[in-house]
Amino acid sequence: MAATLLEVRALGKRFAQRQDRDKGREPAPWVIKDLSFSVRDGEFLTIVGPSGAGKSTLLNIIAQIDIASAGEIVFDGATVSTRDPRALRPGIDRRIGYVTQDDNLLPWRSTLDNVLFALEVQGRLDAQARARAEMLIRTVGLAGFERYYPHELSGGMRKRTALIRTLVYDPPMILMDEPFAAVDAQTRTQLQADLLTLWELGRKTIIFVTHDITEAIALGDRALVLSKQPSRIAAEHVIPIPRPRNVKDIFALPGFAAIHERIRADVQ
Amino acid sequence: MSVSAISPTRSPAIRWRTHIDRALVLLLILALWQAGSLWVGTYWLSSPWATTTRFVELVLNGELIRHSGYTLAEAGAGTLIGGFPAVLLPFLLRRHPIIVAILDPFMVGGYGAPKLAFAPLFLLWFGIGMESKIALTASVVFFIVYFATLAGVRALDPRLVQMAQIAGASERQIARHIVMPSAVPNIFAGFRIAVPYAIGAAVIAELISSNRGLGYLVQTGAMNFDTTSVFAAIVAATLLVHAANALMNAFEALLMRWRPPLQSMMET
Repeated sequence: MAATLLEVRALGKRFAQRQDRDKGREPAPWVIKDLSFSVRDGEFLTIVGPSGAGKSTLLNIIAQIDIASAGEIVFDGATVSTRDPRALRPGIDRRIGYVTQDDNLLPWRSTLDNVLFALEVQGRLDAQARARAEMLIRTVGLAGFERYYPHELSGGMRKRTALIRTLVYDPPMILMDEPFAAVDAQTRTQLQADLLTLWELGRKTIIFVTHDITEAIALGDRALVLSKQPSRIAAEHVIPIPRPRNVKDIFALPGFAAIHERIRADVQ
Repeated sequence: MSVSAISPTRSPAIRWRTHIDRALVLLLILALWQAGSLWVGTYWLSSPWATTTRFVELVLNGELIRHSGYTLAEAGAGTLIGGFPAVLLPFLLRRHPIIVAILDPFMVGGYGAPKLAFAPLFLLWFGIGMESKIALTASVVFFIVYFATLAGVRALDPRLVQMAQIAGASERQIARHIVMPSAVPNIFAGFRIAVPYAIGAAVIAELISSNRGLGYLVQTGAMNFDTTSVFAAIVAATLLVHAANALMNAFEALLMRWRPPLQSMMET
């Protein structure tokens, strides 16, 4: 069994109380409380939870762009500072990539230049890096669109660009926050298949957050179910479907119905 | 916005139609002008035809070109001298919101103050030559561009900054690759408003006291009860504004190809 890459221990999050005259000094409610889990190196972990379960907040804390209120995080053997906003290290030295819900492409950069952005600021823009970018662009079917600006691309193409923009610089762990939520069902299936193809190339450690149970089963090695607020881990399921998987026919595979039913029962 | 990039681009038919309608509006203005001059007499209000002949005459003998050149040089120098610090300042103060807050009432005061009333002071300080006109123009341009740039820097999408941080970008790289490009549309909007004001300010400063420039031409025309020359100079100033605006449009189209063509879609 591979080593643990990330461990989240008793994590808690409450947002600062609004200055509300009527409520007085009532403490802010916990969005996340006592949340613990760990991810193995090379594992594809999916996290399912209802809307407003604090899924994005959890990923923001792991990505170090938001602070936690309690608990600790151990990444790659070292404890990471999570409480002090000034001590945050977004993407901890480029080892944690983050594909957000919105594609957050730079509108003034073409597809290719968006994909190359991280390599450029990291000073790693050599021939080898360019070749890798071109390979990824071809793999997800964006060849021919290298010079297009984001506003000239479809929603699915923008998602693909956002995805390979993170994959291209090869961070050992990638967080994904419902990256395919805003596209139509057919495009989503295609994007999921693309993601699995790309994942098979490198086997990164992925934490993929979604509210779609089918997506969680289709992609993950293991699925965690979050409770409603305050969020905790309500259940854990190992996905028994062997790889490589055909995302399009995932419904028909043996074991799918049973695991889907079990997860659905756990999602409140 | 006083002057804009309104250009119908949807189809050739609409484009032609717009050109024809514009010509009709121009004809209407000329007809009203002609009627007015017939009504009150050419002594008080010169006719369009007389203005046109004088305009051509002044172009041919080089007078109009020479005076326009002075006005344009003053407006151009003032735009650069006022515009450069106005763009730079909000970037330098980006990480110092307290200084921005301290400066704010003074900037608002500078923006709102009737700067043309300062023209006599500038004449006193910088003399009757071009320097006083440049000073007035710069003071007009500075405040307009400062507030436009400030709005651009503030309109920055924090998610793009977070994305860049996670990718490993330094503060300097973020300023250059994220903050600067995202403020460009606002900076342009500022200059688009400021440039016609700059030409107007130069002309008015010349009106008060000068020995050259379009304002001087207006002034000498008025002193000699020569309304034809006054109108010829005003027409020249208007054409300068149009030329400057066309230049801005071309520059903007070149620099902001990445923007979705939303404007033209809404206009036609």
